Amino acid sequence: MMVGAKKQRWIKVGLYISYVLVVLSFLFPLLWVLSLSLQTRFEVLQVPPSIIPTSFAIGNYREVLDSAPVLQYLWNSFRIVASTVVLTLLIAIPAAFALSRYRMKFKSQLMVAVLMTQMISAVVITIPLYRLFASWGLLNQLWLVVLVYVAVVLPFTTWFLKNYIDTVPVDMDEAAIIDGCNKWQMLSRVLFPVSIPGIVSVVIIVAVQSWSQFVIPFILIDDASLYPVSVGVVNLQSTQTQITTHLLAAGSIMSIIPVVILFVLLQRYIVGALTSGAVKG
Amino acid sequence: MWDTPYPWLIPLLLVLAAVFLYPILQIVRLSFTDANMIQVGYDYTLESYLRMFTLPGFLPMIGTTAFFVFFSVVFQLFAGFIVALLIVQGEKMNLRGTVVVRTSVLVAWAIPGVVIGVIWGMLYNETDAGIINYALSTIGLGPVSFLSDPTMALLSVTLANIWRGTAFSMILMYAGLKTVSKDVLEAAVIDGASALQRMKNVILPAIAPIILVNLIIISIDTFNTFDMVMALTGGGPGNSTEVIALSIYTAIFREFNLGEGAATAVVLLVVNVVMTLVYLKVLGRRGEE
Repeated sequence: MMVGAKKQRWIKVGLYISYVLVVLSFLFPLLWVLSLSLQTRFEVLQVPPSIIPTSFAIGNYREVLDSAPVLQYLWNSFRIVASTVVLTLLIAIPAAFALSRYRMKFKSQLMVAVLMTQMISAVVITIPLYRLFASWGLLNQLWLVVLVYVAVVLPFTTWFLKNYIDTVPVDMDEAAIIDGCNKWQMLSRVLFPVSIPGIVSVVIIVAVQSWSQFVIPFILIDDASLYPVSVGVVNLQSTQTQITTHLLAAGSIMSIIPVVILFVLLQRYIVGALTSGAVKG
Repeated sequence: MWDTPYPWLIPLLLVLAAVFLYPILQIVRLSFTDANMIQVGYDYTLESYLRMFTLPGFLPMIGTTAFFVFFSVVFQLFAGFIVALLIVQGEKMNLRGTVVVRTSVLVAWAIPGVVIGVIWGMLYNETDAGIINYALSTIGLGPVSFLSDPTMALLSVTLANIWRGTAFSMILMYAGLKTVSKDVLEAAVIDGASALQRMKNVILPAIAPIILVNLIIISIDTFNTFDMVMALTGGGPGNSTEVIALSIYTAIFREFNLGEGAATAVVLLVVNVVMTLVYLKVLGRRGEE
């Protein structure tokens, strides 16, 4: 490049300064809540506020665990998300296979209809479902809640996997048929293994979206022992007051810590998954 | 039987029909009734729509939503682009720390909206112990009524939403910037194009399609936002931060007015469908290129 060494150095300095600013603006809110979660109720009200907690009140966490079933919320979220991921793959992989490999009438219209559902607000569909489930006495049924979660992520998943399978050469199918595979074996033994990277991308994206899902469980579940963590935090918030900010902070930290750790560990794959999705989708 | 596409598609179609088709038909039907959440019976009427459009709260709600969506989307696009550009530039120069920047922005994407609302509620604490107000006071400003002043509250909610949505926008922009051909960029440098000219004539045209897709996805997401606002302000003070998705919920579950909530839901549905059509048009154009 023809950029001088001096100019190059100034660009580097500028980049590093902006990196510090970006990282600070994204991490500071989280670090501040972490700090609040380790302060006593007196320290929380102190002026000036202490950035680094002097009391280091780790007991806040025990207090929250004693008063609210945060671990139960986390477990519920985990159950719901895991079932959603599995069921979504079971439905979306065969559908993506069919959309990629078969000729059919109205295929593009069907793809458009599927995409349309992706754009519809969850609050719009959850209200009639609430009425329906309530009239059948089926509120608080986690399997039904999971079904709604699955439906919400299916359009994106099907499109993504269809596009992924499209990139697998048809020669592989033909070789499988010559080897005597039927369609099921072709999908499970040939296409599934080569689609693993695409499936991993989908699993990450579906898991994050489902973990954050709020309006569906908020409306369809009113039994507190079944709340996922998003609804649990709102519940915690409504029972807290100004004087218990430190406890709400501790509850918030507990609700995000599993995902944050997972994100930091898997960030390379997550970025890969998201960028490949963006370019292909 | 497995040689036709239909059996492979049946589970997908069944789930989508049950969870989307049925509720949409129901919500459209209910919007033409005077149903409420307390009594069982109802009559068909146009009352909900007439009342919705003439209600004093309707236009302000649309205004609030428009402000929230417009500024969220503009700044998410802008911030996402700038951060992505900084990271890509740093990667080109083999700088350390690009992974740290990428990860810290992305973490915001993994946090549930309600928790983001709770976290920002703490940042916006209006007493002197609130961290932002304290920081402002050290330079002689404030205190600012972040959440108790109606105009300020809408700004605060929008800022928190920009923070939340920048991660997703950044990753799309990042993916787009990665596809810009190095050869073309180097050729532009050799031709003596300045950084600004390269941006205007090479980079922006190359990633224009992805910017459009990004624009539409985040617009739809922002229109449908409900959780973050609910945790941060609950729509208040007054109705100053009641965006459309939240107002549907409030009408139905707090005021028990199903007909009117359904009519508002139909408005949101129309917005969703129109935006999808725009999206498809953009995608179609991309496909032809």
